[in-house]
Amino acid sequence: MNSDPNKSILIFLLASIGLIAFPHSKNIPIPLFAFFYLLLSWRFIGIWKQNWLPNKLTLFFLTVCGLVLIYSQHHGLLGRDAGTRLFVTALGLKLLEIKSERELYLITYLAFIVAASQFLYQQSLLMAAYILFVCCVLLATLVCINSSKPQPFAALKTAGIILLQAIPMAVVLFILFPRIEAPKWMFFNEPHQAKAGLSDSMEPGSISDLGMSDELVFRVKFTKDLPPPSQRYWRGPVLSYTDGKKWTQIKDLRFKQFLDKPVFSGSPYQYTLLMEPQNKNWVFALEMPADYALPLSQNANYQLMTSESPDKRTEYKIISYLNYNTGFITRTEYKDATQLPNPPSDKIKQLVKQLHGFDSTPDAFIKQLLTHFRQEDFHYTLTPPLMEENPIETFLFETRYGFCSHYAAAFVYLMRVANIPARVVTGYQGGEWNKVGNFLEIRQADAHAWAEVWLENKGWVRFDPTAAIAPERIERNINIDQLMPGGIISFAPTGAAAQTAFNWLKQTRQLWSNIDYNWQRWVINYDNKNQSSFLSSLGITDIKAMIYWMIGSIGLITALLSWLLLYQKQQAIDPVLRIYNRFCKKLAKRGLPKGQCEGAKDFAERIKITLPEQAAAID
Amino acid sequence: MSLKERFRLSRFISGEQATDEPIILTHRRIFILPTYRGVNFAILTALLLLIAFVYNNNLVYLLAFLLASIFFITILHSYKALAGLELQKGQTKAVFAGEAAGFAIYIDNPVNVERFNLQIKLEQPESLTIKPQSKTCVTLYSLTKKRGWHTAGTITLSSTYPLGLFRVWSPVRFTLKALVYPKPSLQELPFPETPSAQAKQGFSQKGVDDFYGLKEYLPGDSIKQIHWKAFAKGLGLFSKQYGGDSSAEIWLDYENAPGHNTEERLSQLCRWVIDAEHIGIAYGFSLPGLKLLPDTGISHSRKCLEALALF
Repeated sequence: MNSDPNKSILIFLLASIGLIAFPHSKNIPIPLFAFFYLLLSWRFIGIWKQNWLPNKLTLFFLTVCGLVLIYSQHHGLLGRDAGTRLFVTALGLKLLEIKSERELYLITYLAFIVAASQFLYQQSLLMAAYILFVCCVLLATLVCINSSKPQPFAALKTAGIILLQAIPMAVVLFILFPRIEAPKWMFFNEPHQAKAGLSDSMEPGSISDLGMSDELVFRVKFTKDLPPPSQRYWRGPVLSYTDGKKWTQIKDLRFKQFLDKPVFSGSPYQYTLLMEPQNKNWVFALEMPADYALPLSQNANYQLMTSESPDKRTEYKIISYLNYNTGFITRTEYKDATQLPNPPSDKIKQLVKQLHGFDSTPDAFIKQLLTHFRQEDFHYTLTPPLMEENPIETFLFETRYGFCSHYAAAFVYLMRVANIPARVVTGYQGGEWNKVGNFLEIRQADAHAWAEVWLENKGWVRFDPTAAIAPERIERNINIDQLMPGGIISFAPTGAAAQTAFNWLKQTRQLWSNIDYNWQRWVINYDNKNQSSFLSSLGITDIKAMIYWMIGSIGLITALLSWLLLYQKQQAIDPVLRIYNRFCKKLAKRGLPKGQCEGAKDFAERIKITLPEQAAAID
Repeated sequence: MSLKERFRLSRFISGEQATDEPIILTHRRIFILPTYRGVNFAILTALLLLIAFVYNNNLVYLLAFLLASIFFITILHSYKALAGLELQKGQTKAVFAGEAAGFAIYIDNPVNVERFNLQIKLEQPESLTIKPQSKTCVTLYSLTKKRGWHTAGTITLSSTYPLGLFRVWSPVRFTLKALVYPKPSLQELPFPETPSAQAKQGFSQKGVDDFYGLKEYLPGDSIKQIHWKAFAKGLGLFSKQYGGDSSAEIWLDYENAPGHNTEERLSQLCRWVIDAEHIGIAYGFSLPGLKLLPDTGISHSRKCLEALALF
């Protein structure tokens, strides 16, 4: 209709496109991103300088440029990355040849696709809110195109109203629309970004600074009671083999079939564990997991693994017991758990001897050793000095500064010297309690290492030497927010004045974590499994019922909305006029319709004549 | 309205029977169909659903559902763009054949909502915006070809507001007709000699002889009578007026009018009526079955022209 699109429409459209593509800065390579914004700003200038816009030849050249750029940065032709790049570049090029309304619409639609592609990279609540806002601007652009005189704010308001009205129906569709897993061949496997998580080996001497990441690893929601804080050990890989410096897992775990059946006692703890995307298939269950369902399985070291891809958020239902007895030790286990790289040095033998490692029961020796850690000048720090040569000896006799890995490694080593089977267990310890959402949040900073000793009639028993040095580390979490680089760890609580402000901060953080948890749990993770369990709690069990419910609720919402829209219109009429209309209607019922070309006054006169008894009321 | 009428397909395009009454646009008269853009929007939604399915991404699902419900809800908003408007027919003016007849339509917006970008169309679409609680008048033109009554066809009021995904339209028909006079002949012919008994003083062929003044140009005036010199000076268009005796009487008779067929004769008569009126001489008018005594003035000329139009 309009051959030359209106300036304000263009400004609106270009602004919304600038907003839409912006979060892609992290996802698409810089040259392409820059190319896109170059095109966008070119078009922006073109609003005022029409003849600066490229002609057909330049446009062709630019298209070739775009293709070359995509090709040079290519990651295959199909899939998320390639698709996003293609759409972004196409959008940029299309911007330069806006000639009619048709192109404006095409661009808007392309922009919607680019907006959707953001969700393939990030699914946070903030991103969703941002995209919602951008969609509102895009809709407002459409409103502008369809108004003869574009008024940006009125258009935004209209678009906002339409969007708000659309949300209930979208939510109903979201809940009830049947989710079917896409067949495997349709998945495009993307190279997953490596995440710094717990590693499958431990080398305490070579780390001088343990990265303390605030990143969430998993959340746990208990159905009933919480285990006491000092018992919250989340079991990860078990490291049995050492070369003196590095501790690694045993490769050959075939001895699993010979393991004794563990005996559990005490009260069971039932919980739901929501793992964040990981690059390893480990699932960190509370020690000791007793009951779990597929896709989980347990290896010979009692560690839970998932057989599905760990790069998606997944929920597991697990039952654990705090009291357990793993029974006898297999020969392989015994061999692995007493393995030493070299004969121990005299200094170490001396120490073990001094602590009665060779001439008392294992229990007594362990007690002695823990007392030794506590009473001697050992310190807990996250920034220990480097110990390149003989790390265990250096740690025990020289530096005496270390974190959990140092203590666990030294403890296990000394046990083995005394010929007691022991091994290092890594995983997470503790977790922050979210009061708002009633769940535990376990972050990377909660990573921990402890020791496990096999004792006669008790099986594998956990000992945490770190607890001997810094019991607070176990009772309370490390306060990451207050960590001073290089300093010795201080555990909360600290000064009272700072505490109130900190508490407030903590509360907001917890509130936010709770919102985020629910977002992850109910929105991002709402797959066919969750859907069917949620819907069956509402009494909807099969797909037929789902469709009936969907149609029913959409009908209901439509009826409500139409009533809302039409009712507003009724109200808008002048109240006096409304009363007058009612008056006329009443009279018409009595056979006195108001004439077509009769004014209100004449009509009143006529009525007064025919209905003299009502004359006063009519006036 | 009977059921059969309700389902007549022509209601969608040409509207219901023509009426004199004001028409309020309600669900009975308003129709909605998606535009090409709307269909494309649906395709876009389907594409997003596919992306969501392949990547199993719940937020893309949510976005797709949001767009789907926006699409759905736009139907209501589109309906709201027209609903409640009150259309009323206005005046029409008679025109000469070949000219465009103008039909005035009043559109009343009784509610508190502004109506953006309405399109009203008879032959040429015209767009308008109606402020809340206000009334506008639009004149729609329709080209006439033949003399006689020219009825306005279906007037279509439409809108694509708010998102352009749906076109909502309402065809209305009013009993609107314009009288179309015959097209005045371009031929410059003298008034006919009238051997009539009433023309006692004989005919005077003064129409072309005696110049007596200038008059502003009116449509239908002969090109030859235009005062070109004045026009060249930029004074505007004037017609030279001829004729001496204003009291002179002529008779314009169908029988005496030159022409090969009826239409040509009527056309010539029309021309004469206009000319005579300009000059201001009294003229009698006679058609088979109709005789008007010599007179002058607008009402007389209108009577003559009406007779010509409806002959």
